[in-house]
Amino acid sequence: MLKVQEVRELIKLIDESSISDFTFESNGTKVTLKKEQGEVVSVNKTSNPQPVKETVETTPVKAAVQTQAEPKEEVKEEKAAEPAATESTDYDYEIVSPMVGTFYESPSPDDDPYVKVGDSVDNNSVVCIVEAMKLFNEIEAEVKGEIVEMLVENGELVEYGQPLFRVKKK
Amino acid sequence: MNNLKKEGYVIEAVTNKGYRIIKAPDDLSASTVQWDLHTNWLGQHLVFKETVKSTQLVGHELARENADHGTVIVAREQTEGRGRMSRYWDSKDGLGLWFSSIFRPEYLEPKRASQLTLVAAVAIADYLSKRDLDVKIKWPNDIFINGKKLAGILTEMQAEQDAVQYIVLGIGMNVNHQHDDLHETVQHKATSIYLETNEIQNLNQVLTEILKELENKYEIFMGVGFPVIKEMWEAYAYKIGEWIQVKTKDIWDAKVVGIHDDGALKVIDHLGKQHHLYSAEILWKGEEIE
Repeated sequence: MLKVQEVRELIKLIDESSISDFTFESNGTKVTLKKEQGEVVSVNKTSNPQPVKETVETTPVKAAVQTQAEPKEEVKEEKAAEPAATESTDYDYEIVSPMVGTFYESPSPDDDPYVKVGDSVDNNSVVCIVEAMKLFNEIEAEVKGEIVEMLVENGELVEYGQPLFRVKKK
Repeated sequence: MNNLKKEGYVIEAVTNKGYRIIKAPDDLSASTVQWDLHTNWLGQHLVFKETVKSTQLVGHELARENADHGTVIVAREQTEGRGRMSRYWDSKDGLGLWFSSIFRPEYLEPKRASQLTLVAAVAIADYLSKRDLDVKIKWPNDIFINGKKLAGILTEMQAEQDAVQYIVLGIGMNVNHQHDDLHETVQHKATSIYLETNEIQNLNQVLTEILKELENKYEIFMGVGFPVIKEMWEAYAYKIGEWIQVKTKDIWDAKVVGIHDDGALKVIDHLGKQHHLYSAEILWKGEEIE
């Protein structure tokens, strides 16, 4: 069977190629490599399985979470334990990034942020900018409500689908 | 000098400085642009303004009022021309071109839209290269000639999670600037077509030809996708194989390898590890650290 190092090498080569599927069979050992949305997922099927999983040098693609009907239970509980945090954890919508890029809270370093915690927003309110390759994407709230939490810092690199703000709908 | 005046130039003498062209004969005019424009859709709806704060601002306003795909806003002068992060872009009447195009791409995911900035850079580079200028593109989309900046692109988008509402792509290009027309803070690092060719340009002609290139490259991008554009882009790549500095959280040295399939800048660090950069301050003055 293939050595871990060899599988690693294969992953790297496939990642850089246009191949999306790769299967290698020898002595009853089958290795299948599949590239999914820019991510290399490796499955090593053998009788004596050795887990091989590697993500190579690509941007992890997270599932886009557009809305969250209800806040997760554990978040609520965890925060409830902290006496300081009260309303700020009460949210029912997350504004997520539509692309990989840099998060900017204001139109330029000299300007005030588009929004702060406690601000009311409606569908067309611009809440921030995400920039990638000099394309500046003005992110709109797409919901009417109040900003209850800002999840990223100015200048931070954000991933596709990463939540940026929490909103309590009105 | 007198010949220039005969040709229609209005020239002013500035004490101790030299001469300044006040008016070129072939000024930007809506009718001339429309007459010369041989595109199918880009700029066929042309909004011509004498003076605006910024063509980008007008572009956003019009797009919000449902302006058509392909609408182009041109101004003779911008009083608050903007570059990246609202950095000031000097845009005096008669000297350069500043225009914004509205795109409403169908079937373009927002996360792929940033490739359009590279598409526009290739369009401008092709135009300049046809004029025998040695043009380079500094990732992702600054246009350089002989190591000096000639044009910049500012692209802004309104998008939902899965659909682009509109994109306003602004191009600012130094055309007829003489040395003294460039702000003294940028004189050593900016240039114009005039400074590179010694020929005063007809702004209408430059604009119509760039729009034609831009329409063509946009159609290639939407029709066959990014790979073809990537190849064209790489032929113009600035500082390929050279060491630069990248500022993310820290500043680190990186060697430019090319661009990734999605347009990200591909670099390797000193350990040979590859990185894809989507958004980073890049300090291109690699020479200084070598």
